[in-house]
Amino acid sequence: MPDWGRTTLELIVQELQRPVRVDESFDRRVMVAVRRSYAERRPRGVAGWIGAAVSVTRRPAYAAALAAGVVAVVTVGMLRSRPETVAGTAPIPVQFVLVAPEARSVTVVGDFNNWGLGDTALVAENHNGVWSVSAPVPAGVHRYAFLVNGKQWVADPTAPRAAGDDFGQPSSALVVEGSAE
Amino acid sequence: MRSRTVRGLLTVALLAGAFASVQAQDPRIGNRLDAPTRKALTALLDSARARGIPEAPLMEKVYQGLAMGADGPRIVVAVRSLTVEIANAQRVLGTVATTDELKAAASAVHAGVPAVELGKMKKQSGLRRSLTLPFTVLADIVSRGVPVQTAANAIRSLVGAGARDREISEFQRNVQVDIEKGAQPQAAAETRVKGAVTTTPAARPEKREQE
Repeated sequence: MPDWGRTTLELIVQELQRPVRVDESFDRRVMVAVRRSYAERRPRGVAGWIGAAVSVTRRPAYAAALAAGVVAVVTVGMLRSRPETVAGTAPIPVQFVLVAPEARSVTVVGDFNNWGLGDTALVAENHNGVWSVSAPVPAGVHRYAFLVNGKQWVADPTAPRAAGDDFGQPSSALVVEGSAE
Repeated sequence: MRSRTVRGLLTVALLAGAFASVQAQDPRIGNRLDAPTRKALTALLDSARARGIPEAPLMEKVYQGLAMGADGPRIVVAVRSLTVEIANAQRVLGTVATTDELKAAASAVHAGVPAVELGKMKKQSGLRRSLTLPFTVLADIVSRGVPVQTAANAIRSLVGAGARDREISEFQRNVQVDIEKGAQPQAAAETRVKGAVTTTPAARPEKREQE
């Protein structure tokens, strides 16, 4: 780049950097116009009161208390917020399959349907000994088991075992991933 | 001052009454539990609530017991045991743990994994990584005969290497199949974890860079 170009550029930059003197009342007039415009747009009544700007210069103690409250709420919220919260996500369709050629009936019960109490058991259909039923299951970890012929408890042979047969019967563990992962 | 105290006590009494009423009206329980069992369970739930332990897993245990035909005392024992296990898990995992993580961790504790091992995994994995599935798999392989320390080391290796849930699930299935085919549980877990770790993102830096 030739020298004349650089000199011209420097001159332009210098000119742009030079502070501009404005009328001393300029700031005040701008703020008056802004406040008037804001007041015209602000809704009246309770909604307007809620939306009103809060003066921190007149009530510094209130402002400090408000700020402390906001900080406390945000902090508690952050501490209590749990990662990968899946509550509220839509249930995910899950297919339960058990091969039991000799069975006359197969139902599926677990945490997701309150273990069939209150007629909520999932009734599997028989496809030549392959019993299957699909149902939407909420995201999360669930214990479940197959109930064969209404009396025999069978764990899902293809799923992780649920640790501890507290009631002397086997059960399985199902982890349904939510959309959060 | 006195009226405020009376009002406070009245509110607490009303809330307690409402809870007892809800419990009594639970159609899933109905009259299936005798009075002593109901009383013991109510006390356990009250205590759990006061300690910040989620109630849902405890109620699920009650439903499971009822569905499986367990008698009252056995249900109370199971719920009490679960309460202790969740409390232990909560102590090491902290308040950031989800209810699902606590449930899965309680299963692992029930299987015999020391709670402190779960705490180490949580610390290693960071707060954002849910360990629900890793804890579930840990409980599973321990219940299949893999020694606790071997199982904990395996899951910690996988989590530490950044293994995703589907990779840990695949590890579980492989260990399960190996054991069902007659493999020694410890050998199955130790062998399978070596292969599983090589497929994790941490073991494939060049691919991660491309992504």
